[in-house]
Amino acid sequence: MAALIRNLGVRIASAALTAKHVVPAGTAAFRMQSTAPVDAKAAEKPTVRKPDAAARSSLSDFGRYVAECLPKYVQKVQLTSGDELEVLIAPEGVVPVLQFLKDHHQAQFTNLVDIAGVDVPCRKYRFEVVYNILSLRYNARIRVKTYTDELTPLDSACEVHKAANWYEREIWDMYGVFFANHPDLRRILTDYGFEGHPQRRDFPLSGYVELRYDDEKKRVVCEPLELAQEFRKFDLSAPWEQFPNFRNANPPAEEVQPAKAAAGAKK
Amino acid sequence: MAGREAVKRAVQQVRPILSVDREEARKRALNLYKAWYRQIPYIVMDYDIPMSIEQCRSKLREEFVKHRQVTDIRVIDMLVIKGQMELKETVEIWKQKGHIMRYWKESQDPKPTDFLSKFIQGVN
Amino acid sequence: MIRAPLVKALGALGSPTHQIASRAVRTSAVLAQTPAKAPEKIEVFVDDIPVMVLPGTTVLQAAAEVGVEIPRFCYHERLAVAGNCRMCLVEVEKSPKPVAACAMPVMKGWRIKTNSDLTRKAREGVMEFLLMNHPLDCPICDQGGECDLQDQAMAFGSDRSRFTDINYTGKRAVEDKDIGPLVKTVMTRCIHCTRCVRFASEIAGVDDLGTTGRGNDMQIGTYVEKLFLTELSGNVIDLCPVGALTNKPYSFVARPWEIRKVDSIDVLDAVGSNIVVSTRTNEVLRILPRENEDVNEEWLADKSRFACDGLKRQRLVAPMVRMPNGELQAVEWEGALIAVAKALQKAKGQVAGIAGQLADVEAMVALKDLVNRLDGELLVTEQDFIKGSGIEVRSSYLLNSTIAGLEQADAVLLVGTNPRYEAPLVNTRLRKAYVHNELQIASIGPKIDLSYQHNNLGADPNLVKDVCNGSHAFSKVLEGAKKPAIIIGVDVLERPDGAAIHATISEYCQKLKKPDWNPFNVLHNSASQVGAFDVGYQPGIQAVLQAQPKVLFLLNADAGKVTRDQLPKDCFVVYIGSHGDNGASIADAVLPGAAYTEKQAIYVNTEGRPQQTLPGVSPPGMAREDWKILRALSEVVGKPLAYDNLDELRARLESLAPHLTRLGELQPASGGESVAKPSISISSTPIDVKQKELRDYFMTDAISRASPTMAKCISAVNKQQRQDEARSCAAV
Repeated sequence: MAALIRNLGVRIASAALTAKHVVPAGTAAFRMQSTAPVDAKAAEKPTVRKPDAAARSSLSDFGRYVAECLPKYVQKVQLTSGDELEVLIAPEGVVPVLQFLKDHHQAQFTNLVDIAGVDVPCRKYRFEVVYNILSLRYNARIRVKTYTDELTPLDSACEVHKAANWYEREIWDMYGVFFANHPDLRRILTDYGFEGHPQRRDFPLSGYVELRYDDEKKRVVCEPLELAQEFRKFDLSAPWEQFPNFRNANPPAEEVQPAKAAAGAKK
Repeated sequence: MAGREAVKRAVQQVRPILSVDREEARKRALNLYKAWYRQIPYIVMDYDIPMSIEQCRSKLREEFVKHRQVTDIRVIDMLVIKGQMELKETVEIWKQKGHIMRYWKESQDPKPTDFLSKFIQGVN
Repeated sequence: MIRAPLVKALGALGSPTHQIASRAVRTSAVLAQTPAKAPEKIEVFVDDIPVMVLPGTTVLQAAAEVGVEIPRFCYHERLAVAGNCRMCLVEVEKSPKPVAACAMPVMKGWRIKTNSDLTRKAREGVMEFLLMNHPLDCPICDQGGECDLQDQAMAFGSDRSRFTDINYTGKRAVEDKDIGPLVKTVMTRCIHCTRCVRFASEIAGVDDLGTTGRGNDMQIGTYVEKLFLTELSGNVIDLCPVGALTNKPYSFVARPWEIRKVDSIDVLDAVGSNIVVSTRTNEVLRILPRENEDVNEEWLADKSRFACDGLKRQRLVAPMVRMPNGELQAVEWEGALIAVAKALQKAKGQVAGIAGQLADVEAMVALKDLVNRLDGELLVTEQDFIKGSGIEVRSSYLLNSTIAGLEQADAVLLVGTNPRYEAPLVNTRLRKAYVHNELQIASIGPKIDLSYQHNNLGADPNLVKDVCNGSHAFSKVLEGAKKPAIIIGVDVLERPDGAAIHATISEYCQKLKKPDWNPFNVLHNSASQVGAFDVGYQPGIQAVLQAQPKVLFLLNADAGKVTRDQLPKDCFVVYIGSHGDNGASIADAVLPGAAYTEKQAIYVNTEGRPQQTLPGVSPPGMAREDWKILRALSEVVGKPLAYDNLDELRARLESLAPHLTRLGELQPASGGESVAKPSISISSTPIDVKQKELRDYFMTDAISRASPTMAKCISAVNKQQRQDEARSCAAV
């Protein structure tokens, strides 16, 4: 039911969006503007940040350029949340793409800020690995995304960015993605002897085992988890969002078209 | 259509983790077994666990035999890698006594199976 | 409060009985119900989505049809439209002002804009005015987290405030009222939606609540200082969109986001209301109603809602065996089971079982199987009913018109029952029919207040005969009605001449019967009764007392009808149940069972609808689910029952009575054609009912007897009565 309502909500929201363009702002609407002061002074400090048009165009230009330079690896370039550039690459291309972005004079993405993992079990390649990189020189951040499954190793980015060492250990520990040529791949967050990869979607929130101190044995022992009645029931519905049809959703990711297609579209 | 998909999947080239054929994977597994086997006396001594070397060896065998039905080379490799990491953790004495003793699961009572003992223990 | 207003709105549109909820338009409602010809649907546009609706549909309902939920405070689907909160203002194209969506019927071709600038501005304005006089005490408010005002302020309010307390006079403040031990009031939080006032006068039928003053001085209250005492008072807590009326026993106990909710069934009366049990840290914190159009709509009676604190008191937590010195001593399960098994082996088949008010179907089946395996036959219910062949036909002990069906009835005769307290939610249906459907009600029995007008014919049981042979004036009404119904209370059927009354009415109902309408109804008041009859229990404990069994099982039998001196000296009494009440006090062995919030169990309500409870918490201490106790006992005796888990037990249940496992579905019972002529005639003892006044209502079973809240309710009623008496004396 909730899903149904949500669907309806989406439909209505999109309808409302189109309606806004169709209906001209009448006099009534003009007279009864929102009490939230939307005059020039308030617009300087808006509660929601608007995407910067200049950054958008330069980022999409840059994305297009990367796609042209590395056609073998770059599969898609997109902008999310208005002005965040994402380069989606094939798993073989991690090292060359990161190397390119680091060393290219017009990019200089020399800082690896973070590596993140995403698990979507329904996909054929269930894991996404996201590299967040930063160019101090050009004050820009972009994301490089690739994908893999449980058994396909990814190349380690350690030879490009030293920072990748611990991040990749983290991904290995949390998701079980194997990084080939990593200098020191071992667990980083979980306990020795811990089994499984806790950030995988199929890993239960409560885990499989529980630890306790055994007074007789004078050490910590590990036992399979037994859930009390209270924790056997999971309520998956969100308690908030009472009005799904009046919600402001994030804009969807926009694909950055390759240069030729963009030129063709202009004509 | 589905048949073609299956064929495609069967001959699909996948990136190997370490080994390229069964023989190599087998060798790696055997090497890991041997490495553990040789380390067991030192482990028993270093961690001061209340287990004999023989008991540890039979446990080692048990842990390997648990995965005997695995045939996928990449899965074998993955298990070997994890086993190697574990060996390193053990040999470097990063682990503690409790971690080693975890293999025996001695504090876990066997679950009751018949209705009456389940009832008296209060497990469903 | 269960907040699925959208679903509710859609559901309300679908139900034909719920069309116009105002007594003022009573006649027009009746007219609208006569299906002269389907009126033509008109097209309107909600946010440019076209929708076809019947004329007379309000803007709000039209929007709900396309899935747009317009925010509201005062509007409620089951109450009359008030239109005083103004939160549902929406823009309609070519209309000079925004319209109140809850009260405005749509016109053809209207273009409604639920999210335009004008609409948003209107909502923001209403919100600002409401919040101007609403205290900022969300952190100490019990409604926090499930508050409509909070949610809507988040969604539609302005993101900054213009409220400045210029003169340091503070916001408007209103004195709190004391309206009883169940509902806590913080009247400063009130936004004057008048939902509680409308509920009290429309649904509960007590005009106790009302408004005084106007403008900024308006207050909700009881006019004079008195308690708001009705069996449905808890529902105003759910209705209140803010924290003005909150649950007194639950105050400052928990936040909605930290509790876990389990859908379950209420067993404190025979209606089988659908409930949500809120639990935290293995404790039942509160009980809320769950919507079920066929049973309880969205209301819940006070006993069902507030007696849950009785689940923590007087509990049996360990098995007990009576020692030679006559005291019950706690023992381990092994010891208790062996003690009972020894007695069972000595009994050699002289075994009997009595199922009480709260026994579930599974436990009753397990007890039946166990007793049968031990060559016993005697299985009875504690609640008495007619003797003989009366219960062989299923329809002879059900509420055949169904609870929802009673809404459509146009003539009802109540025989020896007080539905107001025996089944408050059946009474709301009757009241609804009385208000909207011109239902004529007559009763045979003592004079009681049913919250609506009815014609008391008297308490003489021979009136039943008069009505049934057509010589009474009310017979004409019944015979002329489209959907007549006769409701018999179980108190009548307990009488020695109960069978005669039952047969007389049942015969008359054959005459009144319509193709899709069975006017014969029995209103039970114990949750186990219909289920017990369905699995083959016999009514009444007399048979057991006559048989003088060696071992007697009391399955939740706490009514105190069986006493020690009625039983032979060497009778070994085994009590299986959750509370230390009458049953446990006479038992030789006490086996602690689970209460209804702790087990997955089927209960059949008075209309024959099987529904199941789900475990919210685990049984306290060493208590176990009742059927498991019997299963374990059977193994110790050496005659193990053939089921080890609930699924296998349910399979057995299905082979016994297939309809019992179709949960939530109503199996239409075949009409009682073969009515045996009673050998006894109707005596002249006046018909009486047990629950006459509100104070009789609160404590009727082991759980509510253990509940401190229910005790407070009774003392509040007594206090109120003393005050009233003092007042009337003073007036004289």
